[in-house]
Amino acid sequence: MPDFASPRSRRLILAALVSAALAVPILKATRASAADKGPIRIGFLTVKTGALAAGGRQMEEGLALYLDQHQGQLAGRKIEVVTLDTAGQPATTKTRTQEAVERYQVHAIIGPLAAFEALAINDYVKQAKVPVISPSAAAEDLTQRNLNPWFVRAVTTSAQMNHPLGEYAAKVLKYKRIATIGDDFAFGHETTAGFQRTFEENGGKIVQKLWSPLNVADYGSYVGDLKTDVDAVYASFAGANGLRFLRQYAEYGLKGKVPVLGNMTTVDEGILKNMGDEAVGVVSSGWYSAAIDNPENHKFVEAYRKKYDADPGYYSAGAYTAAFFLDLALQKIKGNIEDKDAFMKALRSLDIKDSFRGPMHIDKYGNPDLTIYIRKVERKNGRLVNAVVQTYPNVSQFWKMSPQDFLKSPVYSRSFPEAKNLEK
Amino acid sequence: MKRAAVYAAVAALLVVPAFLPFDYYVNIASQILIAGIFAGSLNLLVGYGGLISLGHAGYLGASAYVLAWLSTRAGFSHLWASLGAVTLTTLMAAVFGVLSLRATGLGFVMITLALAQILWGVAYRWVSLTGGDNGLSGFGRPQPFGIDLSSATAFYLFVLVFFAISFLFVSVFVRSTFGAGLQGTRDQPRRMQALGWDVWSTRFVTFVVSGFWAAVAGVLYADYNQFVSPHVLALTNSAEVLLMVIAGGAGTLLGPIVGAAVVVLLKNVVSAYVTRWVLLLGLVFVAIVLYMPEGLVPGIERLRRRTVRTGTRA
Amino acid sequence: MTAAALELKGLFKSFGGVPAVRDVTLSVLEGERRLLLGPNGAGKTTLFNLVTGDLASDSGTIRVFGRDVSRLRADRRVHLGLSRTYQVITLFPKNTLAHNIVLALLGLSRSRFNPFSLLARRGDLWERARGALDRVGLGKLADRSVAQTSYGEQRRLELAIALAQEPRVLLLDEPLAGLSREERRDVQDLLTTIPREVTVVMIEHDLDVALSFAEKITVLHYGQVIVEGTRAQVVADPRVQEVYLGA
Repeated sequence: MPDFASPRSRRLILAALVSAALAVPILKATRASAADKGPIRIGFLTVKTGALAAGGRQMEEGLALYLDQHQGQLAGRKIEVVTLDTAGQPATTKTRTQEAVERYQVHAIIGPLAAFEALAINDYVKQAKVPVISPSAAAEDLTQRNLNPWFVRAVTTSAQMNHPLGEYAAKVLKYKRIATIGDDFAFGHETTAGFQRTFEENGGKIVQKLWSPLNVADYGSYVGDLKTDVDAVYASFAGANGLRFLRQYAEYGLKGKVPVLGNMTTVDEGILKNMGDEAVGVVSSGWYSAAIDNPENHKFVEAYRKKYDADPGYYSAGAYTAAFFLDLALQKIKGNIEDKDAFMKALRSLDIKDSFRGPMHIDKYGNPDLTIYIRKVERKNGRLVNAVVQTYPNVSQFWKMSPQDFLKSPVYSRSFPEAKNLEK
Repeated sequence: MKRAAVYAAVAALLVVPAFLPFDYYVNIASQILIAGIFAGSLNLLVGYGGLISLGHAGYLGASAYVLAWLSTRAGFSHLWASLGAVTLTTLMAAVFGVLSLRATGLGFVMITLALAQILWGVAYRWVSLTGGDNGLSGFGRPQPFGIDLSSATAFYLFVLVFFAISFLFVSVFVRSTFGAGLQGTRDQPRRMQALGWDVWSTRFVTFVVSGFWAAVAGVLYADYNQFVSPHVLALTNSAEVLLMVIAGGAGTLLGPIVGAAVVVLLKNVVSAYVTRWVLLLGLVFVAIVLYMPEGLVPGIERLRRRTVRTGTRA
Repeated sequence: MTAAALELKGLFKSFGGVPAVRDVTLSVLEGERRLLLGPNGAGKTTLFNLVTGDLASDSGTIRVFGRDVSRLRADRRVHLGLSRTYQVITLFPKNTLAHNIVLALLGLSRSRFNPFSLLARRGDLWERARGALDRVGLGKLADRSVAQTSYGEQRRLELAIALAQEPRVLLLDEPLAGLSREERRDVQDLLTTIPREVTVVMIEHDLDVALSFAEKITVLHYGQVIVEGTRAQVVADPRVQEVYLGA
């Protein structure tokens, strides 16, 4: 055993340490060999554990279906999907993203599921310069005040899909006074805010706003608090909460007395199959419905039903669209995803004339202008569907405003826009 | 011999990045070091003070939030935001210490838990201040002396400096005259009082010091993630760091670091191969509790001693 | 007149309505050896706990060398020169004997606040600790952990700790309890080595030892002082005969 404590060996060790530390970057540089032109590696960030796992599984199904339909090849190149579980935790999402980028050296990322996950990796993605196609995360600021040139959304912002519903409720349904209830987190706040803005702009009044915690055990007390002298209740829920809310809403005898409007996920196809009569009649708006009547969608729904014995909904259609975007952008650049800038340019200038969701056009913020569907839950051939009752074509995330005017306001939240018509 | 071990450890830690095949693993190593500082800070309370806190994420999170807020909303430079974060969080720890140390045992656990839950609630609800569950982002990594820390290796070495200081501090702290008294208050608080020790102040000082190092970990956590959201303040985070301490060996210097490594590796590396990694994490902890209730470091030491003894006998 | 080292006036303490100490007034002179007698449950240990501050009294005053310490924290009272031993051994079982003494020495030193002074390098403290252990005949066991010592040795360590604090007033709570005949003799010898100027108040059931040690005796019964006086006075008192020696 050498004597490490002697001055001489100490000096030696010091020298060794310094040279080792200096050698690190050099070793790194030599190791990072250029990627060979093998398959295209896609990092797929989903949620397999925890409360969001159901949505995560549907995302996985949507992505798998698209790749299956294309024999695992897009633009002539094999697609290799690295699936990573973020557990619905921002810090874990960050680590998973690093794993995808640094270890698997993926060419692009599809995911993550939740808005806070997408926000958690936003800065990193910018630095690492990795293209991200969001199949689900709807956080407004990702394509508004916190822009990321490497980000494209395959869905819509939270409010974008709710602006039309507010107008529809006021103009077509002629509602005057509405109470809202929703999940007490950003998605709930933003969707409700979008609805509130256009509803009030068209002469309606939001007279009550209730927020229930995401993991609330029982909606009884909230339903009990809802005003019953209103024209409708607007419900903004995610996950399985819509199912639980509507059930208790019916149990309290409010169904049939006060109609329910909802955001897209309150009556999402993913949970609609578990619902009964309590959901019938709920009017909602979204960027998709399994009941959209066009040949592409028929094909998609049929294939999805065949494979998974269920209707596609928010998460599965979102991931399917993300794969679709990837496919189109790859085709434009002939599969050469190694040219990241060209790929990103192709992705951000997608102008889709028609698709299973209708036309879509990516705006210069990375968010699609597209058709928003007003849907009504009906029973057809024994199953509940979101029948399309009206379409709003070419809806932008900025609604009818100019981006500049829209972005002058703070981001939608619990307190914006201000609810001026609340009644005691 | 002991000195040799220290030199060897320092050397190993310095060259770790060179031997890890991807930046990803270097980043995992940085995470382990940050978690190690964090768990080490909690160990002062739990292991040496006998005070089980179930709200330690509060200090990590508060510090990360203050850093994020000061640098994105108040225009502070990264350095001043970091100093501000550590200072304010340490002051907060002093206030929380006064509140929590009114009780010991289960009462203490409950108060620390409740205080951390309040912080979580503030982060979640006070949207105009904290961004709600969308969190705060848009602050980069620091650039000490103009050194760019965006590379995984540079950041690792940056964290390593703080890790080394914190480890040195904790080693001296628990072996100091004050540390001896702290351990005395853990074992026989009444007797310590009869020996002239101010038990409350001893605990209080430890509480604040623990909060200080958790705040340092919080700054590094924020630097690493470049993002904070209410999740960082969640009960699961407080429970996780407590698990690190207990699984690794409370009241030992290396225990929390080993615990941090086990948790971070299980969470991040093993999960790539095992879908039900949460279950695995649970099983590992159950196994530790069953077979090494004192924690991994003391447990392995015990086994080693036993084999050495049987070895010499043979 | 010598000043009173310890002066209790009208001390009351009850637990959940049950009185444990009732109107105890007591004065112990500097350098005096005082014995507290009384059957189990007479309130002797409670009285000690009130004096040391382990318990807060309901009413009454406690003065140490004339200073009212009634509202002073227990550890502050120690710094005024008040030390005690425990009836139920209260040591640091995982630590060495020397470490136990060092904690006592530190408790009275400013170093107790120093988080940077390495204990292992405090040769001064360890030397004093050894000296303190030598004094009670435990010098050879200095590096052994308390858990590995006998009951008798632990009793002596209790005493060594209290002596190492160099108290002015020492409260001994049954220092001979549970010891064998030989061990008692050892401890008894130790008691005689306590410096003359130290005021000692002792609770002890072994009357032979206790009576030979004490100059004055206070007898407690149901929390009250019933007799106080010299050996002869107390032994002759009929009330004492009845409640304590009676049977």
